Amino acid sequence: MSLLRHAQRQIDSLGRYSHLNAFVNVANLETVLARVATAAGPSPTDNVDPRSPNGRLVAIKDNICTTDIPTTAASGILKKFNSPHDATVVRQLREAGAIVLGKTNMDEFGMGSHTTHSHFGATKSQCDGVERSAGGSSGGSAVAVATGQCWAALGTDTGGSVRLPAAYTGTVGFKPSYGLLSRWGVIAYANSLDTVGILGTDVDSVEGIFDITNAYDRQDPTSLDPTTRSGLPVEEPAPSKTLKVGVPIDYNISSLDPAVRKAWLRSLQLLQKRGHTLHKVHLPATQHALSAYYVLAPAEASSNLAKYDGVRYGSRAEGKDGTPESVLFAKTRGEGFGPEVQRRILLGAFSLSAQAIDNYFIQAQKVRRLVQQDFDKAFATPNCLNSLEYGKKADGVDVLLCPTAPTLAPKFSEIKDQKPLHAYMNDVFTVPASLAGLPAISVPIQVDKATKSESAGAAGMQIIGQYGDDKLVLAVARQLLEAAKAG
Amino acid sequence: MLARSPRGALVFLQNRPYVCQSCLRRARSLPLAQGQSPTARAIQTATAPPPTDDAPFRKALKDAAKKKKKEERATSGATRNSSKARNPRLEKWELTVGIEIHAELNTARKLFSAAATSANATPNTHVALFDTAFPGTQPHFQKETLLPALRAALALNCEIQHRSSFDRKHYFYQDQPSGYQITQYYEPFARNGHITLYPHDFPAGACPDDGPVTIGIKQVQMEQDTAKTVHQPPSTHLLDFNRVSHPLIEIISLPQLHNPVTAAVFVRKIQNVLKAVNAVTAGMEMGGLRADVNVSVKERNGNSANNVHSYHGVGQLGQRTEIKNLASVKAIEDAIIAERDRQIDLLENGGVVEGETRGWTLGSKTTRRLRGKEGEIDYRYMPDPDIAPVFIGQDLVDHLRQTLPALSDETVSTLVDGTTYGLTAKDASTLILLDDGDRLDYYFDVVEHLRSTFSKRSEVLTRLGKVAGNWVLMELGALFKNEEWSGTKVPADQLATIVAHILRKEITGSTAKRLILMKFEGEERSVEQIIADEDLFLRPLTHTEYMNLAQSLVEEKADMANDIVKKQQLGKIKWFVGQMMARSAEGTVEPAAAEAVLREVLRLPPVEQK
Repeated sequence: MSLLRHAQRQIDSLGRYSHLNAFVNVANLETVLARVATAAGPSPTDNVDPRSPNGRLVAIKDNICTTDIPTTAASGILKKFNSPHDATVVRQLREAGAIVLGKTNMDEFGMGSHTTHSHFGATKSQCDGVERSAGGSSGGSAVAVATGQCWAALGTDTGGSVRLPAAYTGTVGFKPSYGLLSRWGVIAYANSLDTVGILGTDVDSVEGIFDITNAYDRQDPTSLDPTTRSGLPVEEPAPSKTLKVGVPIDYNISSLDPAVRKAWLRSLQLLQKRGHTLHKVHLPATQHALSAYYVLAPAEASSNLAKYDGVRYGSRAEGKDGTPESVLFAKTRGEGFGPEVQRRILLGAFSLSAQAIDNYFIQAQKVRRLVQQDFDKAFATPNCLNSLEYGKKADGVDVLLCPTAPTLAPKFSEIKDQKPLHAYMNDVFTVPASLAGLPAISVPIQVDKATKSESAGAAGMQIIGQYGDDKLVLAVARQLLEAAKAG
Repeated sequence: MLARSPRGALVFLQNRPYVCQSCLRRARSLPLAQGQSPTARAIQTATAPPPTDDAPFRKALKDAAKKKKKEERATSGATRNSSKARNPRLEKWELTVGIEIHAELNTARKLFSAAATSANATPNTHVALFDTAFPGTQPHFQKETLLPALRAALALNCEIQHRSSFDRKHYFYQDQPSGYQITQYYEPFARNGHITLYPHDFPAGACPDDGPVTIGIKQVQMEQDTAKTVHQPPSTHLLDFNRVSHPLIEIISLPQLHNPVTAAVFVRKIQNVLKAVNAVTAGMEMGGLRADVNVSVKERNGNSANNVHSYHGVGQLGQRTEIKNLASVKAIEDAIIAERDRQIDLLENGGVVEGETRGWTLGSKTTRRLRGKEGEIDYRYMPDPDIAPVFIGQDLVDHLRQTLPALSDETVSTLVDGTTYGLTAKDASTLILLDDGDRLDYYFDVVEHLRSTFSKRSEVLTRLGKVAGNWVLMELGALFKNEEWSGTKVPADQLATIVAHILRKEITGSTAKRLILMKFEGEERSVEQIIADEDLFLRPLTHTEYMNLAQSLVEEKADMANDIVKKQQLGKIKWFVGQMMARSAEGTVEPAAAEAVLREVLRLPPVEQK
């Protein structure tokens, strides 16, 4: 199929699935098709490179800045915001020939696990005629990919926002190591955790985008410097190489859905059949990771979102703002932010306050360090960012395999009245890799028909690697998907 | 600079009142409110008015001397005078002051963007996206901004920290686009400095102690400036983001100041040191320096149980209050006096000092409460996750230390000690302070010319520094009183030529003054040429000619001569001297010779030689 045929099919799907509300804004479709035609060249071929973004339609999460389409972060306060610059990752994709189809829906500023907290309404996923949660916060990108509305999509992952939607929609969602992909032009939720992530239907498209966007960017002060990059492994390991696969037993929690547990076991067996070895791994700090995340991320969010006052850009409340009793922008911020964003700003402001910072923010930073140390102890390869040790540990593992989420995609009707705390529980398996800045990918593994009750088709399996082992993580994901397909 | 015209300002701000009414009221209630943010904020960076006391230091010295005389008269006079009554109180109560000074660094770029810094540019023309907190933008630390900051810290004898980092200080205000200021709260780049105040740093007679006073500097930190708010009555506030993220340093002193004058001298000296090492913008008088002061009092012999407070590790102090946003040295001194007296009044009447933030406006008699402890802002300091820690190498510190320009203390000793210059400490300080040091450079040039002229005459070499000093400060000073200093109007070599003629007694003082004025007004001929063309060399009258001139004058004004002789109104001799000079050709009558002859004619004793 030629690039143009692909694009036309995807645009057809865009119309067919518009009720799922995957996009906030879409580019001019004629222009999009004209660009595809230009990219395809004078003699279009059916032989398209499965990894190359050239002439491909990509969807961009709406917290990543684009000059030609508004960038709203799904927030009322930025509902008409036009960014004066493209994010670096968008520029890199455009330079590689990709065509931006539109901006995808999300939880406001990335705060949510079901893409329900959007100023533009919820995004839904559909499976066997049942409306389900699309996961969050990159739910729009995941649904766009899952329903064939684009070739691949960019999302952002702060505590699981790419991996969870991938798990719920049966797509591949990759969060690279922190600092590899530029955050310049990515609207900050929690800077120290925010990572640009990639969603696709297969590992090829995800890796194709990763290869293009994985570059040092001087515009991003947290971009990994060229010297450290040069020390990271670049080549994928040979498929025949025997890997040590770690099984974090702390993730085998009682509330783990039996279908997910079965899919996990099946995945482990599939890898074992391919000659890899399985090893029990302890990650004791994991049980505190979620709490630490929900202290740190809102703290940074309360700081990052202080800039939205409607003065220099963005929406302003009608009429006069500020009363003798309140601060200048109270009304604007009160109207512009949704309830979940307000909740997290308050949480964050509290945990940074003089009375609480020692017991919350500082403690959470300590837990974060412990989580990192847990991973470093588990992996054979030392962490190049902080390790003074040389060489591999004999008893360490190469990758970890665990579920992406404790359950399959919940029904949309079930999450409507969910308490915030319950929603936060969805992130329990994804948050540890975020706190440690590690590469992690979620791949869909079919659940065993026998336990499939009303069925979401697949469970997300997460592969986590040591910092900088992104290529290894992608390679294992590819092997697992191939093995699952074969048998 | 202040955006009086809306052109170039943010258009969407023009007609919409968006500032809270209480802020507006606070702004209006300030006498200095034009173009200035309310002082009610907990931050130091509101637009400051040009201080009223940046008059030449000489004037400050004069005023201080006058004030002191007045006070002496007052205290030696009637006992009912209130300032007399105050003294015993100060013996009973000890004042303690700590100061935080904010100064704009002299840098080409902003602290976290490549946008240029500017003082007077068209509003909102030097602003990067990050400076206005656009979504998706990130800080780019400009490491060159460290250089002036390090020079400042080294000049203040601080220990430069190998590692420092940046934190966010949160508060909402329209001049703070990101909702926080980036500062160094947890890990400042410099700590444990000090500065010594010498007697010559004080105005005449104001030095409170014998010998030098050393004040500790707790730390120096880098931080961002805010935007400038330009108030357009009745309800419009224009924002100029050119100043946003201009690099500042905050210098925090230990609470070791016990006298309002010392506090003022401390701030002035820091200002001079920062200028001397080229750390700050030249436009310091345009709001480039702002200070917050912490004031407490305690009974000298009182029960120490009441003095339980400790600030920056200095213990046994009374409850302090903070006075925010003082924009001039005079304001600092006056505010401290007012707050000290308020606290003593309160304590003597059985009251308790509350820990609170207070404000001060120039000219007022007392500080006023802005907010109490319960109204304190919790800044929620958080390390900035986008800014990596700064590591400063010892090699850089060493290099900067070696190349640090001479500090004013060293220059003062050069000018005062020894025979090369021989200036008084007062004249030396004045020279250093004038025109950002340009006057001092000019003076050095003049002396250099004179030294080569008189290289073989050691008796002249020892006094030419002082004579040159007088001409550079007094005569040139008078001409440049209402004009910006320029070293080229009367070039240094030309003034040196004039002074050389004076030293050789080849021209009279009035001729010299005339020559300087001619050059000042643009005369192109050289001094030598003018003297030759207009025949200005001193050709003294013979003694007989002097006697004849004096005799005829005394006869003409017999009654005045009578006053001098009979009534001993010796001052009138000067009138006769003047007349003798006026009635003779330029350069023929020397005042001293004329007076001697007059005394001879009037049969008065000769002038005593000092």
